[in-house]
Amino acid sequence: MNARAVAAWSVACVFIVLVTTNPAYKLVVLAAAFVTLLASAGIRRMRRLLIAVTCIGIFDAMLNFVSAHVGRTILFALPDSIPALGGAYTLEALAFGVSGGITIAAAIFAAAPFSLLLQPHDVMDALPNALSRTGTAIAASMNLLPLVVTSFGEVSEAQRLRGWRPRGPASWAEVVVPVVLTSVESSIQLAESMEARGFGSTSRSAFRKAKLEWEHWLVIAASGLAVVLFIAAHAIGGAKDWYAYPSLMAPQIDLPGLVACLLLFIPVLMWPRRA
Amino acid sequence: MPSLVHPGADVAAARLTDLTYWYPNSALPALDGVSLDFCDGITVVAGPSGGGKSTLLRVLNGLVPHFHGGRIAGHAQVAGMDIVQTPTRNLARTVGFVFQDPELQAVYDIVEREVAFGLENIGFPAAAMRDRVDEALAQAGVEHLAGRQVRTLSGGERQRVAIASVLAMRPRVVVLDEPTSQLDPEGASLVISAALRMSEAGRAVLISEHRLERLMQLAADWVVVDGGQAERRDLAAWRSPSTPIRAVRTAAPGADAWSLSGVTAGPAGRAVLHDVDLAGRRGEVVALSGPNGGGKTTLLRVIAGTLAPLAGTIERRPGRIAYLPQNPTALLHRPTVRSEVELTLDRTDDLEGPEVILSTLGLAGLSERYPRDLSSGERQRAALAAVLPGRPDLVLLDEPTRGMDSFARAALIQVVAQLRDAGSAIVLATHDSELRDALADRVALVRGGNVTEQRAVRA
Repeated sequence: MNARAVAAWSVACVFIVLVTTNPAYKLVVLAAAFVTLLASAGIRRMRRLLIAVTCIGIFDAMLNFVSAHVGRTILFALPDSIPALGGAYTLEALAFGVSGGITIAAAIFAAAPFSLLLQPHDVMDALPNALSRTGTAIAASMNLLPLVVTSFGEVSEAQRLRGWRPRGPASWAEVVVPVVLTSVESSIQLAESMEARGFGSTSRSAFRKAKLEWEHWLVIAASGLAVVLFIAAHAIGGAKDWYAYPSLMAPQIDLPGLVACLLLFIPVLMWPRRA
Repeated sequence: MPSLVHPGADVAAARLTDLTYWYPNSALPALDGVSLDFCDGITVVAGPSGGGKSTLLRVLNGLVPHFHGGRIAGHAQVAGMDIVQTPTRNLARTVGFVFQDPELQAVYDIVEREVAFGLENIGFPAAAMRDRVDEALAQAGVEHLAGRQVRTLSGGERQRVAIASVLAMRPRVVVLDEPTSQLDPEGASLVISAALRMSEAGRAVLISEHRLERLMQLAADWVVVDGGQAERRDLAAWRSPSTPIRAVRTAAPGADAWSLSGVTAGPAGRAVLHDVDLAGRRGEVVALSGPNGGGKTTLLRVIAGTLAPLAGTIERRPGRIAYLPQNPTALLHRPTVRSEVELTLDRTDDLEGPEVILSTLGLAGLSERYPRDLSSGERQRAALAAVLPGRPDLVLLDEPTRGMDSFARAALIQVVAQLRDAGSAIVLATHDSELRDALADRVALVRGGNVTEQRAVRA
């Protein structure tokens, strides 16, 4: 799998879901991103992400439903005297919130291949030479994140056995301070190790540079075509936007816009399944 | 551009001349007037914790003073290059450095990429890099790990990958700073074998260690660093430490203190231990032995009650638990060693002051120091001092002698023996055979998540 091809596809997905307000197109992009991930990563590896995205999407939809008291189709109303919650609850606000939730979910799924399908070295191999050093430093620092999580568990466990009990925010200093100090020390040791192996001494060469094979080019071409087609369709009056307010209407969908979104399914056929 | 010299067998690969070094904001020098030559073959760098071994080794690749700052006086050369004038990153081609903690050295996630990291940094031609990586993997004896993910490797494997990653740059000098302190005997043996291969290939290899028995048989030279001063010793004068004296028992073991029955346990619902039956009594020392990753730490956590079993039952007498985690430094967050001890004492009803444990562990002179400024062996003792006071009923120690010198180990044995005789139930997870021999009443071999063997130790 080539990180440049993944990046092109991710950018195309995110571009279309952000540029259109039409939930029908957003839904197709969401489906493309979801199915692509499902085919490549499998449902087991997606499980946590799926739960997180569902929660975020529902939260976003509910936030708009609860806070935007506009629209003509009133489902129910709470007294205005109730702070923050009082007012009319409308179908339009709910639909607009759901559309926002789809946007967020599609964007997250579109970016997820970077963590679920690619290894840090895949991304570094795809970086241009000018960014190689920065990419290496970022990849190295990412290696420390699991250690911070482990350290938090170890420290809280050990301090608990030493008599510490969580009693308000101030008491957490006994856990947080050692975790932060340990993380800083770990960073310094890693920096020492990198320096000792010549990091920063000269222009870096690369053990392997990512090569673009035909299947990568196909994904890049399909992603680029999707963006161009969607913009063109929009420019000639197609791929229409959608507005939930003041009265809810069904979103319109046309062939050019739909084809643009369907092109984002191409990776389902191209990307191998990762164990 | 400094000239590169390839010395022969009798010519020093590295030379320190009247070298004195002060860490930033320190009035006392960490190295004081050190003059030494290092030649080909294995040089063992020994000495007590906090004596200056790590500082001396870091001079050789310029981490001291370039990375750590501070002031330096005198001269230091490696392969003809002036260390003080040459940045560490430029010395990397000449001096390879392997650090103590294998977890904090890896940059890449795949072994062969990790080995290539140094070559990439020095702009080595991509076309020749594969051959160089394969050569280094073979020299370190880890060619079979080439495609593996670094995080799936054992500590010993990781440390040898770290060695391969410095060998890839074909350094003239290889420095290993306590490379086996976190490894089980098998992992340590593999690392030492890799060091021997490096010296046979004509490199100068400097190893700092506390466990010297096997290394001294391979060494060409022996240097002792203590109080910032270093001196070469005659190898023939080295004597293997006498068999550790068993800590004399003044009280017999008492009633059952804890027991596990059919326990299956592991983090995140994944079983690491399988159907374990084990028990300990008051005033008894149970030592857990076995390879890294075998389940010793998980077993300690289950006994401590911080990890609930997936199956089986645990019984434990009520009372205070003293627990030293595998990374004891993580505990330390107070401004002084003394205040770490006082924090624990404040939470017990013990009227004993901090002085007793501080002096027993040889920390009286360090009691006002910031714990994280201490050497790794001193930190280990500070962490022990922080968890052990207050007459705990159950003492759980995970690799308590890591990085400790023989003096500190003797002090630890004394403290644990006192706790044992006062009725504490004690469980040690350790690779340290001397500690086991000195203290253990029973040894349980933990391997592959099972307690495969239990044997009583004759008093």
